[in-house]
Amino acid sequence: MALDAGLGKRIAGEHRISMLLLGLCPAVAVSVRVIDALWMSAGVFSVALLAALCGALVRRWGRSGEGAAAGATVGKWMGALALSSCLTACFEVVLLAVAPEASASLGIYAPLIAVNCLVLGSAGTGARDSSITRAVLDAAEQGLGFSACLLLIALLRESLGAGTITLFAVDGFNGVIAIPSLARDPARALGASGAGLLCLGYLGASARLLRWRGEGREKELSP
Amino acid sequence: MAEKSDQRASEALLVTPAPHVGIRSSSARKSWLVAASLLPAAAWGVMLFGVPALLVLIVSIGASLVSEVLSSLLFRRFTLNDGSAFLTGLLVGLLMPSGVPLYVPAAASAFAILVVKQSFGGLGRNWMNPAMAGVLFAMLSWSGAMSNWGAAQGILGNVTSLPPLEALRAALAAPEVTGRAPLAVLAGAGYRFSNGDASIIAWINSRLLAPLGAALQPGSFDVLVGHVSGRIGEISAPLLLLGAGFLLHRRIVRWQVPVSYLASFLMLAWIFGGLGAGRGWLAGGPVFHVLSGSLILGAFFIASDPVTSPLSEKGRWIYGLELGALTFFMRYFGTLGDGVAVSIVLANCTVPLLDRWLQHREAAPLREAS
Repeated sequence: MALDAGLGKRIAGEHRISMLLLGLCPAVAVSVRVIDALWMSAGVFSVALLAALCGALVRRWGRSGEGAAAGATVGKWMGALALSSCLTACFEVVLLAVAPEASASLGIYAPLIAVNCLVLGSAGTGARDSSITRAVLDAAEQGLGFSACLLLIALLRESLGAGTITLFAVDGFNGVIAIPSLARDPARALGASGAGLLCLGYLGASARLLRWRGEGREKELSP
Repeated sequence: MAEKSDQRASEALLVTPAPHVGIRSSSARKSWLVAASLLPAAAWGVMLFGVPALLVLIVSIGASLVSEVLSSLLFRRFTLNDGSAFLTGLLVGLLMPSGVPLYVPAAASAFAILVVKQSFGGLGRNWMNPAMAGVLFAMLSWSGAMSNWGAAQGILGNVTSLPPLEALRAALAAPEVTGRAPLAVLAGAGYRFSNGDASIIAWINSRLLAPLGAALQPGSFDVLVGHVSGRIGEISAPLLLLGAGFLLHRRIVRWQVPVSYLASFLMLAWIFGGLGAGRGWLAGGPVFHVLSGSLILGAFFIASDPVTSPLSEKGRWIYGLELGALTFFMRYFGTLGDGVAVSIVLANCTVPLLDRWLQHREAAPLREAS
């Protein structure tokens, strides 16, 4: 199966944070700094992808066995939740070992990756009746959409609200880029959680505008 | 070509059956009249604070107009001549201290027009007052710059750069200052009013009030006429009331909102205002609090904005009471300035609920009867 023709559109305009306003809590909480948004995006993307892959493999294995009838919808989604939670726990452990500062910074929102994955529907994709490739591609699309949305919000909030862009620290560079005119007197109100919701509102409006223009105004206005 | 001209004619001429009522009132006319009624207070602010105040007003109005033009280009509807952008810029400028860096009023005006007004559909569709939201945005973003009061060139003598309300809050933070009225607390804290105020108060006390056994506190005259530091447009209560009287006379402002707002604030401040300062019940010094800060400006010119205030008369009363209570709590127990900006923005958020609730209540008997 080839990549979907609407992949770009689905990444940019149909992801669930801006369009359906789902997964708001971690999206607003971790978008204060770009680096936190990067870690969260990495977590959601990897967990969503692995959950979709594992879910699809288990479904295929289950269908071949005698227990195919046992694959009721509720059971599949419970399995998806358990799978996402396990993978999220693995990600947390890895993050704590590799980047303890990032782990502390994400705090309570790191376990919410499992919830995000369910919200994105990636874990459930593997549980639905679709091929492994389709499940993985769906998860990748949703993960990329989530990451793009989160990074854009974080970039706007941190650059305008704090006058900095925080990235990974490397040798000789502390990871913080100060924006000359904004670093001295940033608009601190844009760093508040309300500004995150405001950014989401504008993203949602932009996404709807893109979709509206794509589908044609007459079609949108028709009852 | 003919179809186009027919379409233009039908847009220009709205044909409806009789009876017709012809009025000269329009949104643009109201906006310009409100702006005109604010000019005396603005002129007083410029006279007291000088060129920096004029620059702040020019920048805030300019930024507001530029933002309106940009949004007009984006949304393809020209609205610059309806006066609302000018009024928003003027209000933002009047609610700024004269010493504020010029990027602050520019950003506040741009936020007011682009985010609060145009993002929600433009004039008549905004759900909170754009100017007040812009000022609140500036207060939350640049609290230090918004406390840069600037120097005032007094007419009756020197003017202390710190506004009386801010000085009172600082004085009341000291635990030993209890049991006195606001102006007495200020005098005790060493706050200096003008020499002209001292002369006038001494004359009034000796000639007029001494036979009655009463006396005015030093500073009463300065606070009353606005010969004090503060935000550019908020200081002169008489000139603001003059403009408000004009608006009430022209029925541009509905009287229910400012009256209920000021009355509820006065009552709450009088009853409970003295408790925090250790003066007990019914000793809050409400007149000082009404004359200080942007309460009068907010009550007559911002809270009574027809777009963001309730539609029904009952709703306007409730809205005013809500504003008075919020401002009282914010001013006496809050940390965000004089509490007017936050109160108006919060109360604006409840207006759609009030309208819906009262609409259902008023329609219920009609439904039952039918």
